[in-house]
Amino acid sequence: MTDIGSTPAELPGKAHGRSGSLLTESPMMKSRNAAEFRFRAYGLTAIVVALLTLAITLFTIVRDGTPAFFQAKLTYQVFIDAAVVDKNGTADPVEMAKVTTIGYARLLSNSLLAYLDEKGVAVEGMTDKEITDMISKDAPARLRDRVLADPSLVGQTITVKALVGGRIDGYLKGRVTRESSANDSNVTPRQLDMADRMVEAGILRSGFNWRFLTAPDASDLRPEAAGLGIALMGTLYMMMLVLIFTLPIAVAASIYLEEFAPKNWFTDLIEVNISNLAAVPSIVYGILGLAAFINFAGLPSSAPIVGALVLTLMTLPTIIIATRSAIRAVPPSIRDAALGVGASKMQTVFHHVLPLAAPGILTGTILGLASALGETGPLLLIGMVAFVTNYPASPLDGGFMDPATALPVQVYSWASRSDPAFIERSSGAIIVLLIFLVCMNIVAILLRRRFERRW
Amino acid sequence: MNVGILSIIVLALALCGFVVGRNRALQSVKGDARKLHSLPVYHGQTVALFVTVPAVLMMAVWLVAQPMVIEARIVGQLGDAVAADPVASKLAMEDVSRIADGLDALQAATGLSDDEIGDMRSDLSDIRGRLAEVGVALGSEVRPEIFSMAKSLRGMQQTGATMMTALVLMLAVGGLALGILRIEGDFRARNVAESFFMWLLVAAAGVAILTTIGIVLSLFSETMRFFSVHPASDFFFGLTWNPQFRGGSDLGIIPLLWGTLYITFVAMIVAAPIGIFAAIYTAEYASPRVRSVVKPLIEVIAGIPTVVFGLFALVTVGPFLRDYFAVPFGLGTSGSSVLTAGLVIGILNIPFVSSLTDDIINAVPQSLRDGSYGLGATKSETIKKVILPAALPGIVGAVLLATSRAIGETMIVTMGAGAAAKLDLNPFEAMTTITVKIVSQLTGDLAFDSPETLVAFALGSSLFVITLGLNVFALWIVRKYREQYE
Amino acid sequence: MYDAPANKQSVDQSNQKITARNVQVFYGDKQALRDVSVDIEDRTVTAFIGPSGCGKSTFLRCLNRMNDTVAIARVEGDIRLDGEDIYHPMVDPVQLRAKVGMVFQKPNPFPKSIYDNVAYGPKIHGLTRSKSELDGIVEESLKRAALWNEVKDRLQESGTGLSGGQQQRLCIARAVATGPEVLLMDEPCSALDPIATAQVEELIDDLRQNYSVVIVTHSMQQAARVSQKTAFFHLGNLVEYGETGTIFTNPQDPRTESYITGRIG
Repeated sequence: MTDIGSTPAELPGKAHGRSGSLLTESPMMKSRNAAEFRFRAYGLTAIVVALLTLAITLFTIVRDGTPAFFQAKLTYQVFIDAAVVDKNGTADPVEMAKVTTIGYARLLSNSLLAYLDEKGVAVEGMTDKEITDMISKDAPARLRDRVLADPSLVGQTITVKALVGGRIDGYLKGRVTRESSANDSNVTPRQLDMADRMVEAGILRSGFNWRFLTAPDASDLRPEAAGLGIALMGTLYMMMLVLIFTLPIAVAASIYLEEFAPKNWFTDLIEVNISNLAAVPSIVYGILGLAAFINFAGLPSSAPIVGALVLTLMTLPTIIIATRSAIRAVPPSIRDAALGVGASKMQTVFHHVLPLAAPGILTGTILGLASALGETGPLLLIGMVAFVTNYPASPLDGGFMDPATALPVQVYSWASRSDPAFIERSSGAIIVLLIFLVCMNIVAILLRRRFERRW
Repeated sequence: MNVGILSIIVLALALCGFVVGRNRALQSVKGDARKLHSLPVYHGQTVALFVTVPAVLMMAVWLVAQPMVIEARIVGQLGDAVAADPVASKLAMEDVSRIADGLDALQAATGLSDDEIGDMRSDLSDIRGRLAEVGVALGSEVRPEIFSMAKSLRGMQQTGATMMTALVLMLAVGGLALGILRIEGDFRARNVAESFFMWLLVAAAGVAILTTIGIVLSLFSETMRFFSVHPASDFFFGLTWNPQFRGGSDLGIIPLLWGTLYITFVAMIVAAPIGIFAAIYTAEYASPRVRSVVKPLIEVIAGIPTVVFGLFALVTVGPFLRDYFAVPFGLGTSGSSVLTAGLVIGILNIPFVSSLTDDIINAVPQSLRDGSYGLGATKSETIKKVILPAALPGIVGAVLLATSRAIGETMIVTMGAGAAAKLDLNPFEAMTTITVKIVSQLTGDLAFDSPETLVAFALGSSLFVITLGLNVFALWIVRKYREQYE
Repeated sequence: MYDAPANKQSVDQSNQKITARNVQVFYGDKQALRDVSVDIEDRTVTAFIGPSGCGKSTFLRCLNRMNDTVAIARVEGDIRLDGEDIYHPMVDPVQLRAKVGMVFQKPNPFPKSIYDNVAYGPKIHGLTRSKSELDGIVEESLKRAALWNEVKDRLQESGTGLSGGQQQRLCIARAVATGPEVLLMDEPCSALDPIATAQVEELIDDLRQNYSVVIVTHSMQQAARVSQKTAFFHLGNLVEYGETGTIFTNPQDPRTESYITGRIG
């Protein structure tokens, strides 16, 4: 301690420390506090920006998508003329099926004109074609299906709810305006005036659009008829399969790695593998699915089973990581207790550890499924973006092999079409997707709350 | 007998085995379960495993092997000339199996007997027309040798199915008998059953390795095929990307790589500062209540599917940037642009950066903070001069992980970046990325062995190697960092 | 064992550095400290002793408002430094901590070079105008902490690479470099071996020439060795405060006596 002994008087301590009252802010402190304030403001700004973008994203999606759940329909009386739909009067569905939608379109058109006349809705110089073009191209097909399903309707006057064309529907939702219609070959301002008059006469009404959730996709020209039915079924099939595939594999792999695996190169290899697989871009799994399941194994493309296999491989690492941490959270004392009464290691794991870890495993699995639910890129590569209009069969009849689409893919394929009416549908599909995600997350949170244990 | 019914029979046998095995075990010790080495349940399980495992394995092997064996024999019958040419044999095989499927459908629809089908002659009857009636469309008239091949294919398939059924049932019944005979009081049934489950667990853990092998094999074998039809140097150093339907395409990765890196750069310019500052605020400034609200809210962003952000880029961000920035300043007229995709990917990446950074900042020991506060440092001085330098390696790792995610992002760039491969500096210009081109090359109607399709696998390999490298490096940094404070 | 100044019996008002009156501390609903009143003198070593959980560290952390960094802590009462209320709303805790430095139980050097560790305080407080001036402070502080001879050739090496005792002396040098008037030490030797402890204790004795030193310690021997004044805390109460010699030889309170003779604690 010789340094101290020879310390001269002007050593640190009082020498360079500034004195002065604590109650007055020194100029130095002023600038330091200003820097403090600025720094804090940066942090706050970052959070506000992040949350604001989230809010804007959700707001625009909800704003653009809500109209998709509503749809304008023409409600009027249609006379099913036997001379058009059943010339031979056989009432035989096979014979009647030879009449194409063109015949039914004529029925719908004639009846609409007659009905407008009857209700006294002014035509104001519009041609008949201009008026009847307002009916959706989808309506005749639906009327045909209805009549073929019930031939006794022939010769009767029935009430029909026919979709109007996408532009008229868009006009009632405020998407199409008179200015935009002037440059649009699909709609004229006079048709919009007519739509106003029809609304006034109570012919044209807007209602909740159930068919958005049940109908299959429709072609580019009929956005008003496009629905999510097949996409929802495809997604449902895939999620069922992903759950069936991932849960046993993830639980088994996690049990092995946490409870049994010896510390050797093989275990290390698996560990490194899992953490790296979790970070592989999802599109790479799409390439794997295309090469391995479709080209090599010969499974059909666009099939839910292939989608499910791809999503399984993709989510497995995430679920394994969650499952392992749930198993690790079970305290060793439980294992010691079971082993101590003479249970085998396997019995210990299956009788004690696994039941205690189950809520954590389920939570992790649900969150993994939620991320699989929204995955799009890999599904594009295995052909799930195809235009499918037939519902897949039930799972027992090999429905997992039938072509289908998926909810997020439907969002993408509608978004890439040119008609702005499809953007509305696309946003609507996102709302459905987000509702599913919110539900899954709520279930996960509830599970965690309900079963959370503090050891 | 089809596979479904066969599986059900095997399972039923297994169930019988379980019940019988359990009872027999009890009988062998005259109902006194204490004299058994293992509980009766394990004896039952063991018998059930003896029934199912060999039978199911046999079935799986047979189902995989049968089509290969049959194909080899059919191709062999087609003659050496066809067999030597892989393309011709593949086409012939497709014709044969399509006609065979058609005959199956025909039989199902009309109820023809096998003999009647066997007597059909393609040169005498209109096979094409009859198959069309049952919904199987053929491209051309049926050649007699192909038709007879189809008939022999059906024959072989039927024989094969019968043989498989017989073998599987024999194995199942044999396993049942063997399992039951082995039961006695001292038999260590639990150890047998448990070691089987042990192998199941190991196999499940092995799926991760199989996946990796699958990825590597599928990417690199196809990439090798691509390089055999297209020079690798053109791919790696080519400055133009211009695929042609008729061949002679320029397939250089450089413009795609440029687009990818440029967009990633923009994304990280957005995500890194916002994410890091948000993490600093939640970790150091926010009260526990604010933190418990803000953190999950930011993480909500990570839970939103990327296709949603894709639509947001396409419908909202793209037109906004175009109308208020690009067009007024004369920088471009495209809604899809580097900036659009970059901004939106940046938003998506904020929660990754912030939650990783938050973890890392929390791992910095409290004693360092105390030390700094005790010297009269302000909070921001402590953060800037003590916490961030200490956490720097971890934060770099977090940013690298987010970068790797940005590089591999697909939907946002597909919907927001555009499709034109360009080497340009203007961020308002539409450019394209590796992932966009993987999607577009593999979703078109191109033949599967053309370089224009195969290039997607080379692109995929490049993407895989780049992101894997980044990940391994980033995870290594983060692990080193964690060890430092453990 | 220690050399108490002759005039200690008659403490004059001007020598009081910190005066605490009726200090109460709450952690959430739990009261950690009740009605503590103490006068701490300048250029004196004051020891706080007591069994664990008695509130001595809590009180120490009130003196430079380190408790502000604990969200649930609440401090009531009156603590004055040189007659100024340190909990006055106008007081910036940052400015306060520059005057009242602190050394912690576990050595906590920053993961920076030895030089940067010591220079940290002067830099953030803007105490120097030139590099050479800063070099001077670093050297003087290290000398003052009796560490200079050991590290003068490796100032750019990391502070975390030093031994435990060296690290703690580095932390003391770091605190001294800021130019404080009071040094708070929270069990500074509890993580150190006996040799390092002896070095630090010797250092504390030297520091008394320039600073008012407050030390929290578990060890009664240490309190007896280094302090002139001792305060005994028990269950959140200040039981007894006075000359170290008096406390150890002739305690007034039976609880103090039990503790000193080893019956509680």
